Amino acid sequence: MPPAQQTLSKDRFGSLLTGVLDQAYGYAMSLTRNRADAEDVLQEASLRALRFYDTFKPGSNFKAWFFRIVTNCYYESGRTKKRRPETVEFDDVPRLYMFAQSAGAGLFDSGDDPATALMAQLESEQITDALEALPEEYRVVSMLYFMEDFSYDQIAQVLECPVGTVRSRLHRGRRLLQKALWQTAVEFGIVEKLKGQEAPA
Amino acid sequence: MTDQTYLTCEEMFRHLEDYLDHELRAEEVERVEAHLAICEICAKEYAFEGNLLDGIRKKLTRAKMPPDLARRIAATLDATPASDDD
Ligand SMILES: [Zn+2]
Repeated sequence: MPPAQQTLSKDRFGSLLTGVLDQAYGYAMSLTRNRADAEDVLQEASLRALRFYDTFKPGSNFKAWFFRIVTNCYYESGRTKKRRPETVEFDDVPRLYMFAQSAGAGLFDSGDDPATALMAQLESEQITDALEALPEEYRVVSMLYFMEDFSYDQIAQVLECPVGTVRSRLHRGRRLLQKALWQTAVEFGIVEKLKGQEAPA
Repeated sequence: MTDQTYLTCEEMFRHLEDYLDHELRAEEVERVEAHLAICEICAKEYAFEGNLLDGIRKKLTRAKMPPDLARRIAATLDATPASDDD
């Protein structure tokens, strides 16, 4: 009897890769924020994945496995040098920041949940911009969380860091994002607009 | 033995993100949900935060891959032997 198949065939590998390439391109774009760099990173990652595809354990998450290679290619490409330094300290933002601000602005007075109303008013581009403006360590985990729907474990696998690190960066990144989104909502008159939509008494 | 005591609002506050991200153990989820069923304030906070996360997810758009890139990658892979072919 032949030994149990422990690795994928090249064909099977090709179809798994094709299935995640689109998402991986989006991820590479969010890492590099530049089309040419994203293409380079993705091409290099695909080649590397093919070279090492027997390290993938069939049955485990292929997307997380490939995203880890994309991440490594990005960090090894030196393209991160163009980014701002990571040593800047950011003020922490409390949990439920937006909730507290919304309550303070009277947005709960209508009885509806203001989170839905606020998000309906914000443009996709404003939300993407706020996410992309986060410091690198928060931005990357947030991208993996919001765009790819990875669990904390899978993000830890992609970034090769402890789950506890993912959790704390993700939670903090989300609070920073809330503050940025609230500021955008104030700046663009969205909060004022929603204030004027109180339900009749 | 599972802990049957009710969570305080303060503990609920700390569980917020992990609960919404489905990162709590089943027995913790039960305790959180038991509290949500009887505490209007926490329920309001959790709903707000959940709607906010959903709203962000719905609005984020992903850059589309240029069609020729997929073709170029496929061609490169076809021309490259895999690791167990040598
Ligand atoms: Zn409560």
